[in-house]
Amino acid sequence: MLRLENVGLRYGDGPEILRDVTFSVHPGDFYFLTGPSGAGKSSLLKLLFLALRPTRGSLHIFGENVGTLSHHSLPPIRRRIGVVFQEFRLLDHLSTYDNVALPLRVAGKAEHAYRRDVMDLLDWVGLAHKSSALPPVLSGGEKQRAAIARAVIAKPQLLLADEPTGNVDPTLAKRLLHLFLELNRLGTTMLIATHDKGLVRQAERPVLHLEEGILSLQ
Amino acid sequence: MKPGAIIPSNVASLRSLTVTMTVMSYLACLAIGALILVDRAVTNWTSGLSREMTIQVTHVRGADIEEELRRAQEIVSAFPGILEAEALDADAGARLLEPWLGSRSLEGLPVPRLIRVVSDPANPPDVEALEKELSAVKGVHLDTHRKWEAELTRMARALSVLSYAILFLISVSAIAIVIFATRAVLQANRHIVDLLHLVGARDSYIARQIDGRFLRTGLLSGFIGVGLGLFTFLLLGLSGTSGSGLAAASRSLLFSAPEVALWSYAFLFAVPLAATLICLITARVTLMRRLGVIT
Repeated sequence: MLRLENVGLRYGDGPEILRDVTFSVHPGDFYFLTGPSGAGKSSLLKLLFLALRPTRGSLHIFGENVGTLSHHSLPPIRRRIGVVFQEFRLLDHLSTYDNVALPLRVAGKAEHAYRRDVMDLLDWVGLAHKSSALPPVLSGGEKQRAAIARAVIAKPQLLLADEPTGNVDPTLAKRLLHLFLELNRLGTTMLIATHDKGLVRQAERPVLHLEEGILSLQ
Repeated sequence: MKPGAIIPSNVASLRSLTVTMTVMSYLACLAIGALILVDRAVTNWTSGLSREMTIQVTHVRGADIEEELRRAQEIVSAFPGILEAEALDADAGARLLEPWLGSRSLEGLPVPRLIRVVSDPANPPDVEALEKELSAVKGVHLDTHRKWEAELTRMARALSVLSYAILFLISVSAIAIVIFATRAVLQANRHIVDLLHLVGARDSYIARQIDGRFLRTGLLSGFIGVGLGLFTFLLLGLSGTSGSGLAAASRSLLFSAPEVALWSYAFLFAVPLAATLICLITARVTLMRRLGVIT
């Protein structure tokens, strides 16, 4: 599903953020990605959700070489990936409901076809009563949950999450972990970047550790 | 539940675009009005001129001008393709000279005599043959008004080219403004565009979320511009007295016979259509080009 070989990444003429990153993720895998702040976790995730391209090495996603993909062939691949952004990236002028439904709308589904799924998911993450609320009035934890709901609503094959429990209390973090484990059990491949050692311990899943741009399996 | 608009509707650059496109549509409306009026005026003038000719008989020593006038009228009346040949009396000739010589008596001056000739537009006369036959008359000169007709046609053509050039410049300016506004809208909503890309939106989907706004802007500004243009022609028409001039021309643009007015209105209402197409096509092309370079 994911294959990185000697991947390097630098911004402009700056130093390499990622160096010789080599690893593979197979369908159904569940990995945590850990490392200190500034180690390159977010940059690695950006590579994986196709917001960046490696400056060297090869990156294959769903069997496609990202280095040779044209701009027009990116959307079908991106629709197979769900992303939870660290800074949520909710659209402030859309309701929570519309934010969560966005990937389905973009995929061309009619509102009546996805209404029930979206409401069920909002109910599951405890935001059903906030479905009409705009993101600016949501708390940090509520925004986090809305961002997670948006990432999983289209049932992606691969879920990438950047600090998905960073703004929620331990109880909700545990619920979210169960959601991730359940999605993984149903076939979604997971890669979760986190600082939350408790979350990593509870899940008992392999950990990829990134330090000064170098990746190692722990 | 109706989904909310993905791109927010209160985009400042679109408000500025509406104002600018309204001005452009108004100017285009005036240019088209001028084009129609020039075309119509020249058609009227040239059709009148080409139907009429004037025969001038001047005093020649040893010749009786009345006799020469009668001979010329006989020749021209019998000539094929001539519908009417009316000899103007001496007073009519004097009246024509009044603006230059004043109203005092012209008695004693060798004022030429004139014959007004109306030709058949369906069967025009052979002017060269007529001139040849008239050469038998002393002091005769045939004026076909061709020089005036050519001058008018040249002037009308120059005015038409000028109007077309103005329309072209307005269109180019409108396209440039729409490109600028499209880039501004894209830049103002860059975070939304980036997110849409990341959740798998195609460029065409993102472009559709934005270019609908440009379609509405083009349509609205086009109709306001034409409305203002028609109001301007109405004011011009009401401002002058009856007769010829700008006021009469403006009135003829708005209130002529239905079959003529229909064409005027059709040309004027092509402005909102053109404004809409310029907005929509330019925005779509600009969006697709810009989105193609945003990863």
